[in-house]
Amino acid sequence: MNLKTARGLTGAYLMLATIFVTWPGVVPFARIEPLVLGLPFSMAWIASWIAGLLPVLFLLDRVERRYRLERQDQEDSTPGTDR
Amino acid sequence: MEQWLLVSIIIAAYLLLTLTIGLLAGRRTSDSVSGYVAADRSFGLLVMYFVTGATVFSAFAFLGGPGWAYSRGAAAFYILAYGALGMAPFYWMGPRAASLGRRHGYVTQAQLVTGRFPSKSLSLLIAVVSLVAFVPYITLQMRGAGIVIEAVTEGHVPLWLGAAVSYGIVIVYVLFAGAMAVGWTNTFQGIFMVVTAWALGLYLPFRLYGGIGPMFKRIAAERPDLLTLPGLTGTGEPWSWGAYSTFIIVSAVGVMMWPHLFMKAFTAKDDDTLRRTVILFPTFQLFLIPVFLIGFSGLLFAGQPQAPDFILPFMILETGLPAVVVGLFCAGALSASMSTGDALLHASASVLVQDGVTHYVDLDDRAQRRLMRAVVVLTGGVAYYFALDPDSSLVQLLASAYGVISQLAPPVVAAMYWRRATTRGTMAGLIVGIATAAFFYLNPELKPFDMHEGVLALMVHVPTLIAVSLMTPQQDENHLKGFFA
Repeated sequence: MNLKTARGLTGAYLMLATIFVTWPGVVPFARIEPLVLGLPFSMAWIASWIAGLLPVLFLLDRVERRYRLERQDQEDSTPGTDR
Repeated sequence: MEQWLLVSIIIAAYLLLTLTIGLLAGRRTSDSVSGYVAADRSFGLLVMYFVTGATVFSAFAFLGGPGWAYSRGAAAFYILAYGALGMAPFYWMGPRAASLGRRHGYVTQAQLVTGRFPSKSLSLLIAVVSLVAFVPYITLQMRGAGIVIEAVTEGHVPLWLGAAVSYGIVIVYVLFAGAMAVGWTNTFQGIFMVVTAWALGLYLPFRLYGGIGPMFKRIAAERPDLLTLPGLTGTGEPWSWGAYSTFIIVSAVGVMMWPHLFMKAFTAKDDDTLRRTVILFPTFQLFLIPVFLIGFSGLLFAGQPQAPDFILPFMILETGLPAVVVGLFCAGALSASMSTGDALLHASASVLVQDGVTHYVDLDDRAQRRLMRAVVVLTGGVAYYFALDPDSSLVQLLASAYGVISQLAPPVVAAMYWRRATTRGTMAGLIVGIATAAFFYLNPELKPFDMHEGVLALMVHVPTLIAVSLMTPQQDENHLKGFFA
């Protein structure tokens, strides 16, 4: 995945999370039943959006890290730049 | 021995340990302003992770969180929603601020903003805004510490004394050791908080109801209004969607704008440490789940605490736990209060001296540090005065502070990401934003859709910043080069 896509997808996830935990996005999920792991549905719904952020940020970081390394290699191999 | 005495001894031991860690840490830092404010930019991942977590989660989350779940039900879920959302953009903003900090020598966020938009009055305005927001936040932490101690000693140590002793200790280690002490004591306190919250949050529902599911089934049957979003207001009326949603938005925008959190960008050892802290942050956020379970477990329990904020110590005392366990849980709650309180006191001094005073008076490094220490004591004193007011509620205190602090977001973002922004635009936006927030804070009945005054203020602030910036001449190219390489 290239850097732009990774950043775009992360941004999109953040937007969706914001929409689905506030009005009006949360309204269809503002229910008590069914309980999820014993928690009311709305609480589990919000918690899942937060938990989902963990893998999203982790993947973003992998792409960002590869990109930073590549850029560093390019700078190192450019002739005439003494470092 | 009587239970309250044993509990007091455990708490005293805990406080002593905190003080020792704080003072030992201080010996490792250099005797300079950069050492006092930014800990010589040396925090590794473990310290950063717990510093950030322990600083974000305070008496507000640890006592106010269960208090809200207990008295307002699902309304408390807003606290679960905003933190990680607000933190995520810091994956990019944090390293960016850090690199500008290294290049230009910034240690506070006002320096970053006024480095880009040179203006003495802008710097002073940011310092004043930060302080205005800081005092209620510190007040809340002191009150939280006092509440815990008064409750578990059965009134033998009253709120005023408990708050004075615990914050006396905080002030001592902040005075002598600065950012380094804040870092290491928070690591210790962060671990303590997480363990305490999970242990108690799982224990209470099982002990009282036979499990988490059975507990919520019973609440759903007897008090369904409490479990239905957006929950209730403080007086038991249904809360509005407008308020619930804008509380999330204003808190997400504002959370990283707290100077004590933003300054973490300048204390991190390297950018990777900062990024990893952001990535791992959702794991810390989920710690609110057991915190809410503590509050919910009190709902169908016989007896009532004297105020919702007392629910956590109330449940600990009423469920017949051994004194040692009670003492350890109280130490966890004190950790939550003190680990945020110390960072707040430390940041308020750094901000007022670095961003307010030094622009008007020429001070050497030594005099600056001495003045910062004086400010720590002074701010602590003012907050303590308000903490003794019996009418203040923990959540109300912080909610009003967010309206003010969220106004720092547009200037910070503009400084780092928008080339066309100008000093006048930033200044105009900030003034209009603060005025709007103040107006709706004082006239809550005029708020459209019951929205949080901070969000209403941002709706005026951002267009003003953009419009005035576009009407004033662009900044000099050479100046911009220092910010957009």
